[in-house]
Amino acid sequence: MNLTPESKVLVQGITESPASTRAALMMKAYGTNVVAGVSPGRGGLEVEGIPIFDLVEQAVAAVGHVDTAVILVDAYSVLDAALEAIAGGIRQIAIVTGGVPPLDMVRLVRKAEATETLVIGPNSPGIIVPDKLLLGTHPKEFYTPGPVGVISRSSTLTYEVALELTEAGLGQSMAVCIGCDAIVGSSFMQWLQLLDEDDSTEAMVLIGEVGGWSEQAAASYIASAIDKPVVAYLAGRYAPKGPSLGHAGILISSRAAAQKAFGVTAPNKMAAFEEADIPVAARPSEIPKLLKKLLKKN
Amino acid sequence: MDLLEYQAKSLFRQMAIPILPSQRIDNPADLKGLKIPYPVVLKSQVRAGGRGRAGGIKFVENTIDAVAAAQTIFNLPIEDEYPQVLLAEAKYNADQELYLAVLLDPVARRPVLLGSRQGGMDVEGSIEQMQQVAVDQEFSPFYARRLTLKMGLQGDLIQSVSTIVEKMYRLFVEKDLDLVEINPLGISPTGEVMALDGKVTANDDALGRHPDLATLSGKRQSSGLARERRSPHAGGDRPHSQSKVQQSPEFDPKSKSPISNSESLQLIELDGNIAILCNGVGLTMATLDAVTHQGGKPANFVNIGSLDRYYAANALRDRAELGLELVAQDKNVKVILVNILGSASKSEEIIAAVAGYLERKARANRHIQVVLRLVEIDADAVKKRLGQLPVQLASTLDEAAAASVSSAK
Repeated sequence: MNLTPESKVLVQGITESPASTRAALMMKAYGTNVVAGVSPGRGGLEVEGIPIFDLVEQAVAAVGHVDTAVILVDAYSVLDAALEAIAGGIRQIAIVTGGVPPLDMVRLVRKAEATETLVIGPNSPGIIVPDKLLLGTHPKEFYTPGPVGVISRSSTLTYEVALELTEAGLGQSMAVCIGCDAIVGSSFMQWLQLLDEDDSTEAMVLIGEVGGWSEQAAASYIASAIDKPVVAYLAGRYAPKGPSLGHAGILISSRAAAQKAFGVTAPNKMAAFEEADIPVAARPSEIPKLLKKLLKKN
Repeated sequence: MDLLEYQAKSLFRQMAIPILPSQRIDNPADLKGLKIPYPVVLKSQVRAGGRGRAGGIKFVENTIDAVAAAQTIFNLPIEDEYPQVLLAEAKYNADQELYLAVLLDPVARRPVLLGSRQGGMDVEGSIEQMQQVAVDQEFSPFYARRLTLKMGLQGDLIQSVSTIVEKMYRLFVEKDLDLVEINPLGISPTGEVMALDGKVTANDDALGRHPDLATLSGKRQSSGLARERRSPHAGGDRPHSQSKVQQSPEFDPKSKSPISNSESLQLIELDGNIAILCNGVGLTMATLDAVTHQGGKPANFVNIGSLDRYYAANALRDRAELGLELVAQDKNVKVILVNILGSASKSEEIIAAVAGYLERKARANRHIQVVLRLVEIDADAVKKRLGQLPVQLASTLDEAAAASVSSAK
C-alpha cells in the first residue's frame, strides 16, 4: 500500500462530467499528486495542468509507474476501466462511481485477488489521509490529522463520525469507505489488518450497519486478529425492518437461501460485537468517549 | 426486482430448462379457451412466498371448477398483493422434489450454488439438508456436479440435475441476476426433471443493460411509494444511469432497499410526526436512530443520495426542495429535520432550498417547523438570511435530533 503524498495518481473518466473534473481538481488542490487523466477521445488535452491520455498505458508510458487509479467513469464502464488500470500495472484502485452491477464486481474481485490489487468501492468517496492525500471525494472540512483510523461502508456517515472525532480533538490517520454497493472490492477485514499494521494509527473506528452481513465477520476477525483498540458504530438500530435494510441485505431475497448461505437466522450483529468484547457506540457522538477510554488503557 | 413465476419461467424456456405446458390467464373467462388438458393447476402470480399455504394454488378438473377457482384466487391477496395474472399449468406427478438456487454471497463476493434433496414447501424446515458450492473461479460445469454429489444424488440424476444447475448459472450471469431459484425441481418416476416453480430476482443496477427485463418491470402495478421520479438532467453525467431510469419506470419497492441511494426520490412512510431529509443511506439510518433514541417518532424519510451528481446551478437546491415537499405531504408531520452533510459550498444551496420552501408554505398558510443541521457555518449570517422563517439551527446530529423531538411535542 502506498498512500504517501508523493504517490502517483491517475484519474479515469476525468472529463466524463463536470462533477468528475471537479473531483479530480479537488484531489489536486488537496495536495494529491495527480499525474494524469484518462478519457478516450480527449488524449492530448489537459485540465488545469493535468495531461489527458486516451489509454492508461499511454499515460503510464508518459509519466512512469502509477500507484493509484481513481475511477469516475459511468457504472457500466467501471469493470473495463479497472481491468485497464490493472493491465497498466496499477495496484491500487478507488472506484467512486456507484451502481456497478454485482457480477462485474465479482469478475473484478477475482482479477484483483490474482494480481494483488487493492480495490476500494464502488460507490465510495475513497480514502483520505488528512492533510496529506485525497483519493476520491471526501469533503476535507470534516477531517484533521491524528491517530484514529476510520473504516466505513457509508459515505456521509463517515463524514459525520470524522466530524465528531475532530470536534473531540481526535484526529484521523486515515478514513476509508469500502463502498456502498452490495459487492465491494475490499472487505472490512482487509482494512482492519492494513490499519492494524499502519504506524500512524493507534485506534480504529468501524462504521457498519445493523443489517449488514460483513459486520458480523468483522467482529470475530477483530477478536482474533487485531491488536489495536476498535470501537464500532452500527447504524440502523431503530430503522424500519424490511426484507432488505441498508446497503448490505439487498441480494438476499430468498430466506431459505440466505439462512444457509450466510448462516444467519436472527441478524443480530450487536451480539457478535458484544461477544467479541468490542465497544459499540449507540450513536456517533459516543464514539470519541469510548475511544478515549480505550486509548488511555493502552 | 423480483419477477413473477410466469416471467421467470419464460426465461427458463429461453435457456431450455424444462417447464410444463402453461398458459397465462388475465381473467377467469380466459379459462374457456384453455389449451392444456385437465387436470390443471391454477397459480396466483404474486411475489410472496407460501402461495400454496395461503390458498393461491388450486388443482381443478374441469372448466366450471377452474373459472370458480380463478375468481377466488384473483380476489385473494397474499401479503397484501392481489394477482394481476394467474398461471394455468399442467399437473405433474413428481416422485421427488429438489431445491436449487444460484445467488451471490456478498461477504465472499462469489456466486454460490445451493441445493437440497428436500425441496418444495418444507425447504426452510429442513435447512440442514441444504448444500452449497462457492464458484470461486471461472464457472465450469464441475461446480454443478460437485453440488449434486454433495446433495447425495446418484446415477443419471447427477448429470441431469447438474445440467439444470449449469443452465441456471448461465442465466444468472447472462441476465445479471441476484437470484435464480427452482423450488421444486420435480423428478418423475422415470427420472425426468421439471422446473415446477421458479423465482428470479433481477439486479436493479444492471437493468439498464437488460431492456428485456426492464420491460417486464414496466408492466407491473405501481406501488405508489416512489411518488416522484428524477428527471434526466441536461448534462452528460452518467448516461447509463439515466437510461436505467427511463427504461425501468416502475421498480418494486419490496425488492429495493428501503433507504437505498435510488435514482428517484423515494419516500418511506412510518407513523410518527418528525420528517427526515438526509443524504446517504448510513447517515439516514443514523439520523433515524438519533431521533428515536431521544424519544421522537419519525413520520417518514427521504434520502436524496450523493450530492456529487448535482453539479448544475440550483440542481441540489431543486432536489432538496422536492424532498421537503415530499416529506411534508403527510399531515401528521410537525417538524422536518434536514441533515444533509457535504462540503461547505453545498450548504448554501440547502439553506436556499429551506428558505424557498418555507416562504412558499407561509404564503399557502401551512405552518411547519424545520430543524436545519449545518456544520461549520457563520450562524449569524444564516439567521439573517432565514429571517422570521420557522427554522432552528443545530450544529450536531444530537442537537438536531433533540430540537426536532422537542418541537414535535
